[in-house]
Amino acid sequence: MTPVGRESTFASRLAPGRLALGFLTFIATILIGGFAAAALVRYSPGFDVDEDVLNPHLSPATIAARHAQREVENGLPRFYLRYLARAAHGDFGKSEAFNLPVSELLRHRASISAGLLVRGTLGGLALGSLLAWLSVWPRRLTLELSAVATSGLLLAIPPAVLALFFFFREWPLWLAVALALLPRVFGTARSILEDFYSSPALLAARARGLGSARLAITYVLGPAAPQLAALAGVAVVLAFGSLIPIEGLCDVPGIGQLALKGALARDLPLLSALGLIITSLVAGVQWMGDLTR
Amino acid sequence: MTRPATILLALVVVLGLAAPWLAPNPYDHQFRDMASASPQPGFPMGTDDLGRDRLSRLLYATRVSVLLAPSAATISVLLALLFSALAALPSRLVAWTLSLANGIFLSLPWIFLFIILRSKLSLNTDPLVSVTLTFALMGVAGWAIPGRAFTASIVEMKDAGWLLQARAAGLRPWRIATAHAWPHLWSLALVQFRILIPAYVLSEASLGLLGLGVADPMPSWGNLLRDLQHPDVVQANPWTLAPLALLVLVMICLESLTPSRKAAL
Amino acid sequence: MKHILLLLPLVLSAAVPQQLRFAINGDPKMFDVLMVAESNSETIRYLTAGVLLRVNRTTDVPQPELAESFQVKEGGRAITFKLRPNLQFSDGTPLTAADVERTLRRALDPKSGSPTGDTLRAGDTAPEILVANPREITLRYKAPKPGIDRLFDSVGIAPPVQTKLPPSSGAFFVAEYQPGTFVLLRRNSHYFKRDAKGVQLPYLDSIRLDIQANADIALTRYQRGEFHLINKLDADSFDRLQKTQNNSVRSLGPSLDPEFIWFNQAPAKTLPEWKRAWFTSAAFRHAVSSAIRREDMARIVFKGHAHPAVGPISTANRFWVNAALKPPVLDTKGGLAQLAKEGFTLRGNVLRDKGNHAVEFSLITQAGKRPRERMASLVADDLKALGIKVNVVTLDFGSLLDRISKSLDYEAALLGFENVDADPSEEMNVWLSSGAQHAWWPAQKTPATAWEARIDKLELAQAAEGVRANRKNLVDEFQKIVREEEPIIYLLNPDYLVAVSPSLKGVQPVVVPPQILWNAEWLRFE
Repeated sequence: MTPVGRESTFASRLAPGRLALGFLTFIATILIGGFAAAALVRYSPGFDVDEDVLNPHLSPATIAARHAQREVENGLPRFYLRYLARAAHGDFGKSEAFNLPVSELLRHRASISAGLLVRGTLGGLALGSLLAWLSVWPRRLTLELSAVATSGLLLAIPPAVLALFFFFREWPLWLAVALALLPRVFGTARSILEDFYSSPALLAARARGLGSARLAITYVLGPAAPQLAALAGVAVVLAFGSLIPIEGLCDVPGIGQLALKGALARDLPLLSALGLIITSLVAGVQWMGDLTR
Repeated sequence: MTRPATILLALVVVLGLAAPWLAPNPYDHQFRDMASASPQPGFPMGTDDLGRDRLSRLLYATRVSVLLAPSAATISVLLALLFSALAALPSRLVAWTLSLANGIFLSLPWIFLFIILRSKLSLNTDPLVSVTLTFALMGVAGWAIPGRAFTASIVEMKDAGWLLQARAAGLRPWRIATAHAWPHLWSLALVQFRILIPAYVLSEASLGLLGLGVADPMPSWGNLLRDLQHPDVVQANPWTLAPLALLVLVMICLESLTPSRKAAL
Repeated sequence: MKHILLLLPLVLSAAVPQQLRFAINGDPKMFDVLMVAESNSETIRYLTAGVLLRVNRTTDVPQPELAESFQVKEGGRAITFKLRPNLQFSDGTPLTAADVERTLRRALDPKSGSPTGDTLRAGDTAPEILVANPREITLRYKAPKPGIDRLFDSVGIAPPVQTKLPPSSGAFFVAEYQPGTFVLLRRNSHYFKRDAKGVQLPYLDSIRLDIQANADIALTRYQRGEFHLINKLDADSFDRLQKTQNNSVRSLGPSLDPEFIWFNQAPAKTLPEWKRAWFTSAAFRHAVSSAIRREDMARIVFKGHAHPAVGPISTANRFWVNAALKPPVLDTKGGLAQLAKEGFTLRGNVLRDKGNHAVEFSLITQAGKRPRERMASLVADDLKALGIKVNVVTLDFGSLLDRISKSLDYEAALLGFENVDADPSEEMNVWLSSGAQHAWWPAQKTPATAWEARIDKLELAQAAEGVRANRKNLVDEFQKIVREEEPIIYLLNPDYLVAVSPSLKGVQPVVVPPQILWNAEWLRFE
């Protein structure tokens, strides 16, 4: 799509009606998405079964007493409503797998994941865009071919395996997050850049003999900025998704690993909190995308 | 550049389909005295840790993966196109519901749905049936990612100047859709299709860990790629990288075959 | 100059940092010594909790610890401990018989759900606790309690108040815990024990347990020198390490832990009656057992570091194993003959039962446990020789747990046990037909078969028998019945493989948990 002929202006995007609708979508996504996530956990096999039942040293009475100590709320809607009410006050319950308050777990791990996420996303965006630029701008077949090959290679390697390789080489893990993100960014950035590169405005300017640097800034990077910004938002969500296998396999004690361990243990309070975080992230990015459109 | 890519892709598909005739050994035969053997006559790519011929397993895996991963990708893209087409309707409520559904689908912990699916299936379900169902579910669950790209593109088209001009020129809606909107969506769909294939091959590998993917002894690219999780095995047996090499080759071919147009994530 | 040279070794040894580092595969769930039930917490409990007596893992003899002496009385009904003078917790508060009493009462409170309570109780009844003075305490049971002294090896004395990181009564205390990252233990400067020269133990200043679930990463960190030991090494890693650091790996021979298969014999809705008829037939189970090539399994899956199992008690458990039992031999023909007697017929490559049903079953095991996945694949291949089709299904732990303990929607399962003690009462809840862990048919109201009724009797009798030799006879008969009926088909006992840095001294690894760490207060670096 070329940017020519766009009619929505920034002011219209911020009109009160549209803002309210965006906010409504944001809240509805979090509420419904969070509830659906909790429901999936609640109704998957293995919920409400303690591994104590496999422990031959425990008598049935002891297993029952230990089970009674778990705060299991069987009615899901009731559980979720209460959970939301408590979450509003910053209390996300107690993780069953870790036997610690969820908020404490999240606080400790957020900083670790945030480092990986921020550097990985920025790195992925930078490398992906650079590669896209190289494949579009200089118009050299070898460059284009190597860019396509690099992206294809990275698309095919499981992110966790890539991260493990980095781990054993003692290279920074955020670079693995960046490389896992690279092909996704590359594909989109390449097509955005190509659209602008072949836009009539740029062709006309080139015919007037404008220098390539000015051409690039005025006719490509400038107009493409909103779309590239939207891409950055989505990239955060994608990078977050890759944190789960990466942190899980490489034993990084971040949010991703927490999600994995929580899932294996069917840890409802922990997964409900993560569900809220993930839906907020997705809904937030979606809203931002709508605003920049 | 598209010609060699087409030929290579066709070759991979043929290799997969002809696996029963090309494979030197049955994929599940355990040569127990030859476990973890290096490449040698009879086993050109060596054997795995149960003594099964790696080459035969790779050929059969290609058959499973080249059929199922693109099928799931097709389901996702078709569903995404279908849902996104609703965004073209004038109803605001439909557009809002669509955007809401998209957000929810993107944020759900799908893994639990697969775990629930496995628990509803009999343990003796034919592996082919269970893997087909798994891929089908993957295809259905995966509509949200391409869906977002299509919806964004359709919404953008609704606002675009050329559409207004076309309407003003008296072009009928179906004519606008087929002649102008469709070519754009088609190229977008191809890009999404290409991105989803490796995503599904890799997802199958991790679902295999939960007993949901292609069950042993049947091979797939996904479960062959699981070997890569053990760097010592790969270092000592570089030929275990062959499935990865094949997947990379397919990805590069697909990438060079797809017209590069906007591929919103 | 001479004096300086004499001092040199001292200076050098002082320079060696006395921090032991190794990996545990997950977060400890709790630090309350009376509540721990999983292996990572148990390791920490062992290192931090003081006990009245400890079973010497090399001589198998109980030795005084917090108690300076103990006496078994009244024909094994009672035991009296005399505490050492001036005992203290790691925060300096005194430790007296009142603390021991409080610990025991809390453990025995049924509402607490303490596993220690299960150890201490005789059936459902709690012993009587009598404190004579601040240094003397007696426990009295209604009837003789076998191994009354040994059971105190796992009863850690808890501090008066349970805090987040409670003070300890043992050699180390938990100083810091970063969830998902590490647990740091520091030496307890109030610990009572001293070596022959009067130097206070432990020698180590601290122990850092890094939480590392990925065994490949743990191995690499060991090779880099970041870890000093690996308490349980898998066969692949052992072979890899042997090539590069041969002096640091040791095989301790067969472990106490068995790997096994069992069939679901419970009347579950999801299990058709005709399939249940196969699984409840001893001949069917024997035939399956006789067709499994255990030697192949040991060679291929464990690279030769495993031995065919004889039954529930490992050959490593020399006193309690029934020496008359030998591992099942490969006998496919014999297996087919047994099946024929039961009305099964082999037509073509397919075995059929009396009702002409093709014999096919699913075998579930835990996903991600590579050795078990491989063993299941080998079993499936072996049983083709009997005309049986096996569908191997790997499941995530939650789903597996749900099927074998709650829904009972499964046909056969392949799993293993980790035994923490050599005592035959260890698996009591597995063998009692009323037990929740009675794998093939849990929590039966009355024993389903005569042989299960007999096992119930033997188990209860051995648990009440005070004379060791008599107890051994009962345990021998129990093992014989298990072999005759094979409700659980034992496959292998993997060898116990460890890696220890050569710089760590005082190591006496044993196959009983906590293996290398059992004498942690004596370990040091040189």
